[in-house]
Amino acid sequence: MATSSRLLCGLVLAAALAVAGCGGTSRDAGHAAADPFAWLQPAHPPAGWKVARLPSGAASLAYPPGWQPIHTDPGTFSAALLGAHGRIHGYLNATPRSGAETLANWARFRPAHNHEEGDRSVVTEASATHLRFRAGAGSCVIDRYATVSARYREIACIVRGSHATTVVVAAAQPQDWGRLEPALRRSVATFST
Amino acid sequence: MTFKLPKLIPAALALCCALAIPVAGIAQAKSTKSHHHHHKAKHHSTIPQNNGGDRDADNNGGPSDGDGNI
Repeated sequence: MATSSRLLCGLVLAAALAVAGCGGTSRDAGHAAADPFAWLQPAHPPAGWKVARLPSGAASLAYPPGWQPIHTDPGTFSAALLGAHGRIHGYLNATPRSGAETLANWARFRPAHNHEEGDRSVVTEASATHLRFRAGAGSCVIDRYATVSARYREIACIVRGSHATTVVVAAAQPQDWGRLEPALRRSVATFST
Repeated sequence: MTFKLPKLIPAALALCCALAIPVAGIAQAKSTKSHHHHHKAKHHSTIPQNNGGDRDADNNGGPSDGDGNI
């Protein structure tokens, strides 16, 4: 009888270990918080904003008054709100899809890419797929990172339109985020490709 | 004593199988991680963020642009 009890205990322990082993391979289910992209409602650019088109004509990015186009890679467009000594307070960029990024892998690709470009302390705050844009669907990530000279927080999205897939980035330094977030969000929400 | 030993054999086999599954899983996970690390090291060619690369904002300590290539 005592032997049977020990056998039963052994089997239960073995089953528990097996279940624990299976549980260890499961992925994090993510954070259950309020929708961090509820603000993303497709809209037209506000009056007074300028609209820049990529040289290919494949996308248009709106930026607020006071912002100005800055030097950027060929085929892309960037605008910034500049401070003293050229310091970038706010940043907007549109770039045609150029690498292995997809709507499906965006939440992993973007932070990993930032890290590969030399950014440090890259932290993903939120991500989502199947988001609606003016002329297509997209995936977005909100993350923060540090460069050699500053810290930034960004909304980065990859959007697949009817003719092209384009990345749009809206970033600001943490101390400017609260002030610039409405404009950054508006630019993303009005992005078209 | 001699009669109890055969009864223990199936139980011991079950325990071994149960332990083997998670151990194999751990070994596989370690193998995948190791491969991933090797993969990244092979393709890592970071442009220095100090007036390096194409000299746009993200290579001068500015925010990262949407370029998917390094």
